[in-house]
Amino acid sequence: MPLVYEELRRVAARYINRERPGQTLQATALVNEAFVRLVGERARGFENRAHFVAIAALSMRQILVQRARARRAAKRGGAAPRVSLDETMPPAEAQRREAPDAVDVLALDEALTRLASLDADLAKVVELRYFGGLTIEETAEAMRSSPATVKRHWTMARAWLKRELA
Amino acid sequence: MNPERWERLKPLFHGAIEQPPGTRAAWLRGACPDDEPLRQEAQALIDAHETVGDFLEEPATLDTQPPDLDTAPFEAVPLEVGQHVGPYLIRGELGRGGMGIVYLAEDVRLGRTVALKALAPGVANDPQRRERLRREARAAAALSHPGIAVVYALEEIDGNLFIAAEHVKGRTLRAELDQGPLGVRRTLDTALDIVRALSAAHDARVVHRDLKPENILLTGDGHVKILDFGIAHVADEALTQLTRAGAVLGTPAYMAPEQIVGIDVDFRVDIYAVGVLLLEMATGAHPFASTERASAALPPALQAVADRCLAKNPRDRYASTRDLLAALEDARRTFEGVPDRRTAPVFHAASRSAPLLTPRWWWEFHQGMAALVYWIMLVPMWNARGLIGGLPGRTLFIMALASVIVSANLRLHLWFTSRFYAGELPWVRARATRWVTAADWVFALTLVLGGLLVGDARSALAVLLIAIGIGAALAFLVIEPVTERAAFGDGRS
Repeated sequence: MPLVYEELRRVAARYINRERPGQTLQATALVNEAFVRLVGERARGFENRAHFVAIAALSMRQILVQRARARRAAKRGGAAPRVSLDETMPPAEAQRREAPDAVDVLALDEALTRLASLDADLAKVVELRYFGGLTIEETAEAMRSSPATVKRHWTMARAWLKRELA
Repeated sequence: MNPERWERLKPLFHGAIEQPPGTRAAWLRGACPDDEPLRQEAQALIDAHETVGDFLEEPATLDTQPPDLDTAPFEAVPLEVGQHVGPYLIRGELGRGGMGIVYLAEDVRLGRTVALKALAPGVANDPQRRERLRREARAAAALSHPGIAVVYALEEIDGNLFIAAEHVKGRTLRAELDQGPLGVRRTLDTALDIVRALSAAHDARVVHRDLKPENILLTGDGHVKILDFGIAHVADEALTQLTRAGAVLGTPAYMAPEQIVGIDVDFRVDIYAVGVLLLEMATGAHPFASTERASAALPPALQAVADRCLAKNPRDRYASTRDLLAALEDARRTFEGVPDRRTAPVFHAASRSAPLLTPRWWWEFHQGMAALVYWIMLVPMWNARGLIGGLPGRTLFIMALASVIVSANLRLHLWFTSRFYAGELPWVRARATRWVTAADWVFALTLVLGGLLVGDARSALAVLLIAIGIGAALAFLVIEPVTERAAFGDGRS
């Protein structure tokens, strides 16, 4: 677990350092790279992979939550003052730029934790699908479940989270 | 809401959404007549479901927008050009890496130029981590090898940690790779330099743990310096620790593959890194940059070394760095005298200094000779055509001509590629071999058949054709595979 987490962080950090600011990176791509680097090319068995992504999805969730917290702290004035492009823009514009109908990761994380106490399976499906980038079929494989069940879980979890985050 | 009520909510939700959108509320009233709060709960979920859109459908993305923890800790130590930090005078910024900002600085006590790395404050604040870093720095400072940048000092100035290291002029391997692949021979030369330095460090029980093109410097005289030996990962880990504090760590219910979780880190992580570097240098792209590894045909000798370095299980990698060094030296010998695409001028002098009759030379000789003989044999075939006459004669000659054009030309192409664009030879070979083999067969059979048909009419010609036909078959069936195996480590099967 720690190794996956560190590798994923390293992969993410490298991407962030290399890319221009403002780019977005698919979680799936990061998870993929971390997987190949850790497990190696040859062992890309489907089952191994599903299990790996299950762990990686959890790590990904933590990484995103940490980044969101850091950002919030920085915004409260914890860090040194910085002049960003956003500040030169009208507030509405800046707001939109910051979150183009993006999901509030911190709120999602908290809601997901609540959901897990009601129904762990539903929360797991969301974690794998959203943070791990797995398809319905891959999620079913990772959870040793059927695609139909996963799809039902996914539908209900999305509705529930949508209402919680409304 | 408790889990028990949740279990009752589930069938209501799933039942309702199976109904047509307009009738769901009515259906729900019928399905749950006695529990008003639960019905309302279900209705709210259905409302949410109907407006859910593509909510969460796109997987999470990580944006590269600062500020965040990846960059924030570094900003705590902003140093300006001309500023004094302890005994160091800041001259400029060399770069930003995984460890923080690296400054070009002058040690005013000794008057020497150093690379001064400002470490994240998180390292300085944790006594345990600081102690580990101190230990690692001490081990790294003890390393003395021309291929390793010297660590001068670990300095604590006003509560911040700095590492002063040898300032090496040159460009990083990353910058070099951005220009494209290095070619096989330069790849091997660079890898040899790296592994020699690694070997010295591993002998001193220092593991790098963060070997990557950004940490490898190519100096002006074409040699290699490895930076941040043994210390890169401590600083990096400190960052990880920073972000991890406060995170809820839990183990998922199902087991992780053993190999992911329980690996003990030792020198073999560096060997693995060499494997990645080998492929990246030879192909110009990180081998795992895409999910499918580029299946480019590398020289087998090089591929074999890289594969062994990249073994998933550390036990399957080279048992020691010296073994890896020996394997690389062997692979390098295979390419003795073979010019590189990026470095060799078209008319090169490199082969002069190399031993003349290498297997590779013989293989090239074979290609050239075969092409020559094939073309010459068209003359007797022309005579045979006249003697056999009619359609059979013409057909035989055309078959011979076609096979000679294909085989001889491709062989000359192989010869030329091997001489002047050695880096591309694997690809060319992979594509051409099938055609050459097919044309060889046609050529040999046509000659023998021609010889048989000429028969007694001109027995000398018949003997010549049959002999050369059989000789050619012998050459491409028996002799050539051996030459190929000697030259490339494989052979046509």
